[in-house]
Amino acid sequence: MATPSRRRAAWQVRAALLPVLLAGALTLAACGGGGTPAQSGQSGQSGTAAKTLVVDASFTLKTADPGRNYEPTGLIIGKALYDTLLTFEGSDVTKPVPSLAESYEQSEDGKVLTLKLRRGATFSDGSPVTADDVVFSLNRVRDMKGNPSFLLDGVQVATTDETTVTLTSKIANPALPFILPNPALGILNSKVVKANGGTGDESDKAETYLNGASAGSGPYTLESFNAQSQVVLTANPKYWGPDKPTYTKVVLRNVESATQKLNVQRGDSQVALDLSGDQIKTVGGDYTKVQTASANVLFLLANQDTAVSKVTTNPKIVEAIRKGIDYQGLLELAGEGSVQAPGVIPTMLLGALTPDQAVTRDVEGAKAAVAASGVSSPSVTLEYPSDLTLQGLSFQPIAERIQANLKEVGITVDLAPAPVATALDNYRNGKEELGLWYWGPDYPDPTDYLVFLPGKTVGLRAGWKAGADKELEALGDKAATTIGDDARKPLYGEIQTRLNATGPFVPLIQPGQNIVTVPSVTGLEFHPVWTVDVAALGAK
Amino acid sequence: MSPLSAPSDPSPGGTAAQRRTAGARHPLARFLLRRVAVALLLGLGITLVTFVLTNLVPGDPVTANLGQRALSDPAIVAQFRAEHGLDKPLPQQYLTYLGGLLRGDLGMSQQSHRPVLTDLAELVPSTIELAGAAITVSLVAGVAFGLVAALRRDRLPDHLLRLVALVGISVPTFWLALLAFYLFFFRLRIAPGSGRIAPDMSAPPQVTGLFTVDSALAGQWDVFASAVGHLMTPALVLAAYTIGLLMRFTRSAVLEVLGQDHVRAARAKGLPGRTVLTRYVLRSALVPIITVAGLAFGSLLSGTVLVESVFARPGIGQYAYKSATTLDLPAVMGVGLVVGAVYVLINLVVDVLYGVIDPRVRLS
Repeated sequence: MATPSRRRAAWQVRAALLPVLLAGALTLAACGGGGTPAQSGQSGQSGTAAKTLVVDASFTLKTADPGRNYEPTGLIIGKALYDTLLTFEGSDVTKPVPSLAESYEQSEDGKVLTLKLRRGATFSDGSPVTADDVVFSLNRVRDMKGNPSFLLDGVQVATTDETTVTLTSKIANPALPFILPNPALGILNSKVVKANGGTGDESDKAETYLNGASAGSGPYTLESFNAQSQVVLTANPKYWGPDKPTYTKVVLRNVESATQKLNVQRGDSQVALDLSGDQIKTVGGDYTKVQTASANVLFLLANQDTAVSKVTTNPKIVEAIRKGIDYQGLLELAGEGSVQAPGVIPTMLLGALTPDQAVTRDVEGAKAAVAASGVSSPSVTLEYPSDLTLQGLSFQPIAERIQANLKEVGITVDLAPAPVATALDNYRNGKEELGLWYWGPDYPDPTDYLVFLPGKTVGLRAGWKAGADKELEALGDKAATTIGDDARKPLYGEIQTRLNATGPFVPLIQPGQNIVTVPSVTGLEFHPVWTVDVAALGAK
Repeated sequence: MSPLSAPSDPSPGGTAAQRRTAGARHPLARFLLRRVAVALLLGLGITLVTFVLTNLVPGDPVTANLGQRALSDPAIVAQFRAEHGLDKPLPQQYLTYLGGLLRGDLGMSQQSHRPVLTDLAELVPSTIELAGAAITVSLVAGVAFGLVAALRRDRLPDHLLRLVALVGISVPTFWLALLAFYLFFFRLRIAPGSGRIAPDMSAPPQVTGLFTVDSALAGQWDVFASAVGHLMTPALVLAAYTIGLLMRFTRSAVLEVLGQDHVRAARAKGLPGRTVLTRYVLRSALVPIITVAGLAFGSLLSGTVLVESVFARPGIGQYAYKSATTLDLPAVMGVGLVVGAVYVLINLVVDVLYGVIDPRVRLS
């Protein structure tokens, strides 16, 4: 009885398995079919007709409205869609060059910046870029009260004639020419924006429109936008500039870094923007690798508020921390492309210290400082964001290494990681005894780093109140209003040397930015403000 | 009707007619009504719990959403608070939120500056497509494998399938996803890369939001092939755990039923094996299988977060993660509501299926 039933049951089983087999067959068929587009994408790249460029990035993106945009991925898009008055040539951020403005001139007191507009520049709908568009766009950023509003704090924008615009600041503003290339200050087609809810003040509702279409004069226009997954740009057929973009379509995809690497190696994408130092090492072959220090500076802050800590307020302890850290060890941890930060100002900016001016490890000096501090077996709590990565570098291993380094010189470090949303609160409110954070430039000018001085944004986060170092503060005030790069450079050198000697900050490293492109893509340069200018990319 | 199954079958005629005259008192209708009422209450509970939990998290949404420099401008901070209702006391914020919910308004996302509903409408179809494909694969493969394993108990197929199940259950989804992506896409080159369709293709005209369905409706067969191709590997990865789970439960359920008296009696009476298997064995085994399938769907949803990130598929997984890390409360609550609603719905479907399969459940 059991045997025949078992045989029948076996038939049943085969029947039941049929859908599974079918599903399996479908999988193979579908996968085979799906593989074709990827290959066609590859071959399309070497063709002469329509060229699609696929760029993989770890998205930090909220909006395509330049006036509200302040995230790295958003700046890549903003740079492609909107021209600014001034820009930077290649990756050199020490000298602003003309874009929509053909020339600029700063008054001797540094308060008035006069810009002469180029004739013949047009928006993507064919209408000319006017002085009124410039005034509307810049005022909009300032008055809408979004993240980038501070860029134009206290700046009045006016036209003197049809092709001249003046920017007037209350106090000398030497950084303004370095601020203007920021894609957040892209010039919008004011007629189009006003017709779609743009008022230029707090009630402005044009963002919804600008997330679906662009209204700029840049080399690309917006085809589709999704802040979570993908942004598609199409070449602007009416682009006014002398260099038309090589790629007719650019697809920017949100891809995790491990996947980015496989995609670019397989030719499914042409550019991978966010590989870690370890990942780039294992990319062999003909790929073009761009490995350079990013403009982000990782630093430690030792709180100077006695209500927060009795230990880190002791100058000898801060000295011991500064001397006790193994900077070379941190660089090995951070991998390819990273460099030691000689001061708070990153190496590619005007006024940065040279590598030989950086602090070096001195274990004996650190031990002596601990002994001189009068604190017996000092112990501090180190707070840092646990879920934040910077160019693929996680904060956790850095914190652990610092803990080990300082143990060697006699300082006990308790690690207190927290998710960034939580950790930011303590950091911002100046409640951290020892903190591990980073500062990325808002604009590539040293004035952006005066926030580290007593009484300023980051200084206060370290409990460093105004009046804590009057000479340094006076030096800062002078630097903020000094005009002329030759005069500014030594001032920022002095400020940083002083910060490195007695300040509550310990600049650590600038993690490397590791970009890989397939061999056919040419002209890639890392840019500290907009990461990459997709319109400047060529094809072999 | 076999006399052996009579006690558990609804008697035809009389009672059914009575039920019909009773109208809304139809046991199944009453059962459904009760379940729906419970579901609504659960939904309300979910909103309260997510609201309280998200507000308990130490950290300020303003800090998480505004840039370093914008934060130092009190005017910007004040405007952000006012815009998102964060300046109101918590109970009032909750009531405002509930009021919005009744009008179908889930609030504005602080991240995207768009209504949460718009964000979800864009992302949920992608996740449904993925989870739907995965659950289909799991049900078909899991039940079939379990059946084979039970009927070939302690023989080679059984051992092999149990090994497969063990691997599927114990291997972390994230790792499996990376491995599958590496193997099928990078090494073997039989699967396409990241995303929902090939990067040089445009999305099909939106009808349902499911790319497979929309492209078929539009007759864009190249897009359809691409969408199905892009769906296969992530769906298989996502299904691995549920396949293993379902296989094991099906196996034990079938084995248990196979040993029961009514099955042996049916066989003794000479009923064909096919009939015995479908009418007696599978039917009795279905109740535990459905229970497990319902529970497994929950793990599918949490698995999508990881799978979506490895395969770079847009979906509520990534959205949930991003909203949580930036304390975008309306978005977090929106996702919580969707996931909660799906759970409640699945439970409802499971309960109704019990009633359909096993009338004892309906009557009690």
